[in-house]
Amino acid sequence: MTYLEAHKKPGRRTAGIISGIGAVVVLFFMILYFWLPHLLPALWTTVAKPFWRAQFSLLDGSMQSPDYVLKENADLRQQLADLTVRSQTIQATLDENVELKSLLGRASSTPSILAAIIERPPYSPYDQFIIDAGADHNFVVGSRVYAADGVLIGTISDVLSQTSKVQLYSSPGNTIQVTIGPSHIPTTATGRGGGQYEADLPRDVSVTVGDYVQAPLLNDSTFAVVTAVESDPTRPFEKILFAPPINIFQLRWVMVEVKSKS
Amino acid sequence: MPFKSLMRIILDIIIFFCVIFGLWFVAVPIAIIAAWYYSFYLEFILAGIIYDSLFGMVKGMGLWGYSGTIVAVIGLLLVIGLKKVLRR
Repeated sequence: MTYLEAHKKPGRRTAGIISGIGAVVVLFFMILYFWLPHLLPALWTTVAKPFWRAQFSLLDGSMQSPDYVLKENADLRQQLADLTVRSQTIQATLDENVELKSLLGRASSTPSILAAIIERPPYSPYDQFIIDAGADHNFVVGSRVYAADGVLIGTISDVLSQTSKVQLYSSPGNTIQVTIGPSHIPTTATGRGGGQYEADLPRDVSVTVGDYVQAPLLNDSTFAVVTAVESDPTRPFEKILFAPPINIFQLRWVMVEVKSKS
Repeated sequence: MPFKSLMRIILDIIIFFCVIFGLWFVAVPIAIIAAWYYSFYLEFILAGIIYDSLFGMVKGMGLWGYSGTIVAVIGLLLVIGLKKVLRR
């Protein structure tokens, strides 16, 4: 007598295939991680780079109509004329600052290279972007990256032949030592992502929106500006939120410190 | 070329461009739908690998540097398992 199976047994062949695929994938990544860490990044960056450059040219206005470019040129010339007067005053102050530092034996002459941000993945778990210079410009992992006016925003986390990945200090979970306000209150800032930081200070400490934040272990210029102070009477600490004085999402160019080969 | 194969190629191209521009939130739903419609849609895993190659795989990121591949593998396995259960 033949009995029909009441239950269909699980497909052992399919489970075996899936397990095999999983084992191969894991082994593949282990080999890559330990022996060839830059093989896949270099390969796919080479494939993606022409598309990123096309996107950068489009957003930068290189593909706009001549009339649009001429109008933009005129607007920018006017803005430049207005800013020139202001910058002359600032430059005089900067020159005096450099001169005073050199007199004190603390002159800084770190060379840096301009790099374009060619890709910035949205909603990424890490605050990062990709710039169009890499080992060909002697970049190394750990080189500091600055935005306009010398605002320090991050470091290079990976270097390929012609591109580099920049990880921002504001990456979620990243911590740095900072001082806040005119009293230079020391505290630990934690990255929240999206160019934002947060720090906890005792409630009786006087910090207001607009106070400057510095990171003395990184550099001596303004690191961020306080954007909000969240105070809860039931908590002994208040949360200080701050962000760089520039909008990192509108950045098109950055300066990268070039470390001399030792 | 059969319509189904042509559609698969078109979906692969869309997912590829979404991945290289970092639009994982567009690529993942499309890949899940494609994995449901096609059998053994391994392009899902390849898309995850490409995303990690471009934007991850950095020392210090830990497992976050491989999040694309992990999501792709888990997503594909879930879809395959769900298909088997629903079509039993």
